[in-house]
Amino acid sequence: MKAREFWLLFFPSLVVMGGLLVLPLLRTIQWSLEEVHYGTPGTFVGLQNFVAALTDARFGRAALFTVVVTVITTIILLVLGYIVATGINRLTTSRPLVLGIMLVSYVLPNLVGAVAFSWLFDDNFGGVMNRLIGFFSGTQVLWFTDQVPNAVLVIANTVWHMLPFAMLIILAGLQGVPAELREAATIDGANAWQTHLSVIIPTIRGVLGFVTLITIMDVLRMFDNLIPLSPQAASIGNESIMMYVYSVAFADGAQKLGLGSAINVLTIILILVMLVPFIRGIFKEAKAER
Amino acid sequence: MTLPDLDLSTRAVTTGRPAVRGRAGTRPRRPVITGILLAILCVVVLSPFIWMTLSVTKPTDVAFANPPVLGGYEPTLKAFVDLWETTYFADYLVNTIVVAVVSTVIALAIGIPAAYALSRYPSYVSALLLVLALIFRALPRFAVVLPMYDISRALGIYDTTFALAIALVAINQPFTIWLLRNFFADIPRELDEAAMIDGCTRIGMLRRVMIPLMGPGILTAGIFVFLFAFQEYLTALVLTDTSSKTVPVFIATQLGQTLPMLQQAGAASMLLTIPVFVIAFIAQKYLVAGLSDGAVKG
Repeated sequence: MKAREFWLLFFPSLVVMGGLLVLPLLRTIQWSLEEVHYGTPGTFVGLQNFVAALTDARFGRAALFTVVVTVITTIILLVLGYIVATGINRLTTSRPLVLGIMLVSYVLPNLVGAVAFSWLFDDNFGGVMNRLIGFFSGTQVLWFTDQVPNAVLVIANTVWHMLPFAMLIILAGLQGVPAELREAATIDGANAWQTHLSVIIPTIRGVLGFVTLITIMDVLRMFDNLIPLSPQAASIGNESIMMYVYSVAFADGAQKLGLGSAINVLTIILILVMLVPFIRGIFKEAKAER
Repeated sequence: MTLPDLDLSTRAVTTGRPAVRGRAGTRPRRPVITGILLAILCVVVLSPFIWMTLSVTKPTDVAFANPPVLGGYEPTLKAFVDLWETTYFADYLVNTIVVAVVSTVIALAIGIPAAYALSRYPSYVSALLLVLALIFRALPRFAVVLPMYDISRALGIYDTTFALAIALVAINQPFTIWLLRNFFADIPRELDEAAMIDGCTRIGMLRRVMIPLMGPGILTAGIFVFLFAFQEYLTALVLTDTSSKTVPVFIATQLGQTLPMLQQAGAASMLLTIPVFVIAFIAQKYLVAGLSDGAVKG
């Protein structure tokens, strides 16, 4: 294909992405160095916003909460996703039904799913979960006002929402594992446990890495599900980074746009660092193709 | 980590084979226990919806009673009727659908040629642009949405369905291109050349040869872009106010209200859940392919 044709075909998409992604992003970077309000030009303040963000205890708590939830969720998703995918891989006729049911929580708007999820735990909505827990252990859990139970609730919801994704990608990976490989392992005397641990998992590590990457990226940005799940997020210390940005830079007329933008920039840097191995993979593929 | 790992399911869709199939040589070991465990998992996965359905169809006075009332009441659809009659739900639903349809059409119209170009242009430019697409896909949403809010106010298009739709086109464009490009990459280049030797122009070839061949790929991308627009909460929250509010934003605002309105929020959630159930079953093949291949939610 000639260069002229390439740019002609790519141009409309480039205009949209340039105008509505690149320019806004540049504006965010500019704002992060300014004291600024919506609709008015800002004044340059250097790295003051970054200093303010990094020394703000509330931001520290939000970052800690977000990272802890991200790490725990990612580990649970990998383990559970692998187990469920292995199970579904054994199904034959009932597979479409099971996949269909599993997909619902992923396809539904995150916020709507979280609303439904929160009703199971909220005592004002019947308190089904607390009834169950009370039946077995006799205790009541404060799912919405106690920091740790609320974090557990958030993690449970995130796992519920993202499990179909993790499971499907791992399932695709499992289907790429040659049957001969498993047979060879069995002949060599490996038990099921050893086969999974030292044959199958190493074979699909690329897929597992991919699931890890996407999960980390998506959970670091969590926002929607916390609206119903953690209505008192700020006061109990369960605020996510994106909720913090929202509350300083947008909610209820908040105008600390510079601070919010600085936090966005810090988050972008974090995400870019994590993307490096994946980007190297794309360039390797591009090189191999040509 | 390489992309070819994930190519599997694209081919499954484009060649019409079932997207997921049993692997030869798998011993069906203890399928009964696996089946029971998965059945329990399915019930757990669906439990929030089951509970919500029960709560929404109860009369208001017992809907959220604690301990829960499980029988002895007359099921009712009053919450749905109230939702329809006392709120602007119908308007919000229309907004949501308009935004989703408009953004899907525009996203495909500009995404298809771009993805095709990327799959055929033999240079580092193409790899570089894909990397940029991936990075933009990974950005925290507020980093682009807050400036969009400022710009849309300045241009006087704030709180219009068009502004929201075009914003979502841009936000989902990296994913759209990425997914479509993977599908195009599976179509042999010899086909392009043969068509062009026969006298087609590049654009004519794209229209007459590629797009018909890409049917399943385009459908997959279309379903995803539609779903992303339909699911979007954060962007709609920032870019809309009253006249172009979407259903997820409406549901979120109802949460802080009193009991009958909460039941209406539940009814609204149910109304969104039902089409999603249908999509999860009817379009399963395409969802599975898109997830494993584009694999990146916006």
